[in-house]
Amino acid sequence: MADSEPRRGVGHRWLWPTLALPGTIWLLVIFVVPLYVVLAILFGGVDPILRQPVPVWDPRSWDFTQFDFVMGRIFGSDAYFRPALIRTVLYVAAASFLCLLIAYPVAYFTARFAGRWKGVLLAALIAPFWISYMMRMLAWVNLLQTNGLVNKTLSAGGLFDVHVAWLQGHGTTVVLGLVYGYVPYMILPLFAGLDRAPVSMLEAARDLGASRWETFRRVTWPLSRSAVVVSLLLTTLPMLGDYFTNDLLSGSPSTSMIGNLINNSVLTPGQTGQAGAFVLIILVVSVLPMFFYVRSTRYGDEVAS
Amino acid sequence: MSSPLSWWRNPWRRPWILGVVTVGYLAWSLLPVLVAVLFSFNAGRSRVTWQGFSMRWYYGDPLRSVWHDSSLHTALTHTLWLGVLATAITIPLGVAMALGLDRWRGRVPAGANLAVLVSFVLPEILMAVSLLFVATVLVTPLQLGTSGQVIGLVTYQLSYPVVIVRARLLTIGRDYEEAAVDLGASPFGAVWRVLLKMLFPAIFASAVLVFADVIDDFIIVRYLSGDSSTEPVSVKVYNTARAAPTPALNALTTLLLVASLVAVTVGFLAYRWFTRGEKGATLDVFAGEA
Amino acid sequence: MGASTGPASDRARRLQRRTLLRAGLSALAVAPALSACRTRTHDYGTLRIPAPDHPVRWGLSKRYPVIDSGLKPKAGSTLRIYNYADYLSPRVMKDFEAQWGVSIHLSTFNDADEALTKIASESLGFDLYFPSYDSVGKLIQADFLRPLNPDYLPNTANLWHSLRDPWYDRGSRYTIPYTIYSTGIGWRSDLIDGDPSTLANPYDAFWDTQYRDNMAILDDWHTAMAMVLQRNGIDDINTTSSKDLALVRAQLLDLRRTMNPQVTIRMYTDMPAGQYGLAQFWSGDAINMPYYLPKNVDPGVLNFWFPPDGKGEVDNDLCVCLGQGSNPVAAHFFMNAILDDKIAGQNFGYTGYQPPLKQFTPSTLVDQGYLPENLSTAVVQQGDFKKGFPLLELPVTADGEYHQIWQEFKSGG
Repeated sequence: MADSEPRRGVGHRWLWPTLALPGTIWLLVIFVVPLYVVLAILFGGVDPILRQPVPVWDPRSWDFTQFDFVMGRIFGSDAYFRPALIRTVLYVAAASFLCLLIAYPVAYFTARFAGRWKGVLLAALIAPFWISYMMRMLAWVNLLQTNGLVNKTLSAGGLFDVHVAWLQGHGTTVVLGLVYGYVPYMILPLFAGLDRAPVSMLEAARDLGASRWETFRRVTWPLSRSAVVVSLLLTTLPMLGDYFTNDLLSGSPSTSMIGNLINNSVLTPGQTGQAGAFVLIILVVSVLPMFFYVRSTRYGDEVAS
Repeated sequence: MSSPLSWWRNPWRRPWILGVVTVGYLAWSLLPVLVAVLFSFNAGRSRVTWQGFSMRWYYGDPLRSVWHDSSLHTALTHTLWLGVLATAITIPLGVAMALGLDRWRGRVPAGANLAVLVSFVLPEILMAVSLLFVATVLVTPLQLGTSGQVIGLVTYQLSYPVVIVRARLLTIGRDYEEAAVDLGASPFGAVWRVLLKMLFPAIFASAVLVFADVIDDFIIVRYLSGDSSTEPVSVKVYNTARAAPTPALNALTTLLLVASLVAVTVGFLAYRWFTRGEKGATLDVFAGEA
Repeated sequence: MGASTGPASDRARRLQRRTLLRAGLSALAVAPALSACRTRTHDYGTLRIPAPDHPVRWGLSKRYPVIDSGLKPKAGSTLRIYNYADYLSPRVMKDFEAQWGVSIHLSTFNDADEALTKIASESLGFDLYFPSYDSVGKLIQADFLRPLNPDYLPNTANLWHSLRDPWYDRGSRYTIPYTIYSTGIGWRSDLIDGDPSTLANPYDAFWDTQYRDNMAILDDWHTAMAMVLQRNGIDDINTTSSKDLALVRAQLLDLRRTMNPQVTIRMYTDMPAGQYGLAQFWSGDAINMPYYLPKNVDPGVLNFWFPPDGKGEVDNDLCVCLGQGSNPVAAHFFMNAILDDKIAGQNFGYTGYQPPLKQFTPSTLVDQGYLPENLSTAVVQQGDFKKGFPLLELPVTADGEYHQIWQEFKSGG
């Protein structure tokens, strides 16, 4: 008691809360207040001429017309929002899967086999992280044009006549764009996770006669599972709100995702409240994996300590 | 001896397929960017056909080069300005929060912890749209333009320093700080003199990360931008890519790339300098958000 | 399926919702947020909609006075302009800056809806905005515009006579005409087979599956939907008939399903770049195309069709002075500048959109090299306004219905 007393003195009791409070209050205010504004607009009215949103602050007089409208277009008989939502799930799932398919071997190789090239390789892997996302997309917009380098390369100097309209609203182009954009965000946490896995366990597995595949399946993969979960969350959730990749690489309604629905409605007179409804949908959909994430980080913390 | 079969059976052979995948991935991820950089030096107006080397789009063209088109260099300076402002607010706020949350036990900090994790993974468009609504229907200091952008960015980035610094705190432990207090330092002094100094690498790493992420941000800065003077490079690229882009756009993004590479290099060197003589200090901190 | 019952029952619901809303609004008038300036609801009773056969003379603004005569722009001040991208020549802006010591900030928007929303937030302080006359009524009745002082605008004498006292703004109290354009079909004869202009109904080309993945329509709800109406021989492109709108909806959805169109406003660069061969086009963008064409492509492959009988969409865009701006004097000077023959010509050379000035006739335009012979169909003449159809502002309810159809179209099936 005597030796712990000074450390738990008055100083400490106010010091930590004082340090933590500004950030906590900031997060609280800038989460809660805007969320309430979203509700006030979603359940609010519309100015009769300009059809700009008129927020209603009193929950007792909230009007559910806009919310009902959106829900009716998702679940009702006239469900024209539904295809875009399904497409979002499909695109994001496909892109996340492809990201993992690329990121895992790359991160694994870098962590385990790169040897003295590790530093250089890591720097190169991190490089896209420092290059503006828009610049990387713009680069692809140029390459994928009908008279761009991709088609020129494919036509092998005039040998074939290639006129693929890559940018003409193709789901595959959008998915590949998402993969290209988000892979770096997946490689880094995966690398960190795989780099931490103890080599001794792998060696032990090998010494005990496990094959390469079995070592991977029984040792490496289980050890990296939490890193995989984290890296999937870090890429999948941002993809859910992405609309610009789609805009730049497709520009066709046939590839609309929920981000496009939001972006189309948020500045359209009379539809602003609907953007609020979509935002709530994204919020709910993200909350579930988030709890998964919280659990996995707790798990990660335990492993780390 | 070195038949394919025995090579295949050798458990210690190098996995060349993985090597090929890695190299292929690197080529795929970096070549398009290199092409884009290359075309910023195109003499012609095309971003598809090479017409010779020139600096036209940097300063040669009297109307549309980055140097002469004020909307382009405004975008660049505004981007960097946002990066500096948001980093300068985020880092102190986040580091203090990390320290506080690490030591303060109770219901409030547990809730705050959750809020940090939530803001870490929540899709950005959520925050952007809700802040846009705040800016358009309420009269608060949060307005379309720099103020709204900075507030949004700080909120979105706050979790980086918190997560990174807390990870570092975990490895430091409490011994040094307790020793300092035992030697007569005030609790505040112990934090200020001992802990903060030891946390410097993590703080630096998170500052570099936040800066890089801010200058790359798009959704928040677009929805919260006001007039053209508050449109950063990403928004400029998006708007122009949908209209009539010239290689000046490539020049603009190349300049931003150079700026962020400079920031990273400085950050990395500083990081190495602060962690010199410390074993086990690797680049992991940069990758260490996991 | 629910195509016919859905919209109808929606309308009923919306009608009911509207009355509820009105009641709700007045009940909530005490709420602090509603007393904020942007929800002023005074003379919102009915929206006045100008039309050629129903000209409107607007009353003077209650919020923004006319500026005094004889002032000069303050040197070092900033003029904030809000416009479409590539719709104002950088050279013109640079020259204006140099002449008056004013710096210009140009901000751009993608469509008029976005612009209206940002303007309505009233926090950005734009001085000049370039609307079509289909939003002028809203802007004036919401009291966003500053009435003009004609003393600053002597160059209005250069305008076509027919636009000096226009139906949408009798007495030109709030607006000056900026550009004129028609809406038609553009195509590249090297990228598509056939010639849409030879079809019995050229608009059918947009539904011809041989052009699938090779076409685009304008990302502008009213313009695109007006095209569908014209395809069906419905000359009232501002129709509020639910039968017409159901037809538009069905055909738009069909277009999306069978043709996979791009929905964009950047055809003036996409088509020269060879991204697609057929697109709905604004005449100004068509005129602008040769500028963006790679050097190795012959401009002769570019074509623009507008109904030869003149029964197509013809509009003019305007320039207005927003009350929220802080530099109305410079705004007036700029308005006068863009009506100057020489400056307007420079601007035309950059944007491709023709100024309605007496000096610019189709023959002078081709002679002076503003556009190649094969695109002379894109020139708008005074007579076109007598025969053509303008896109008008719509009653609020109809506007909502158009928007909902467009939303369904854009959401992608």
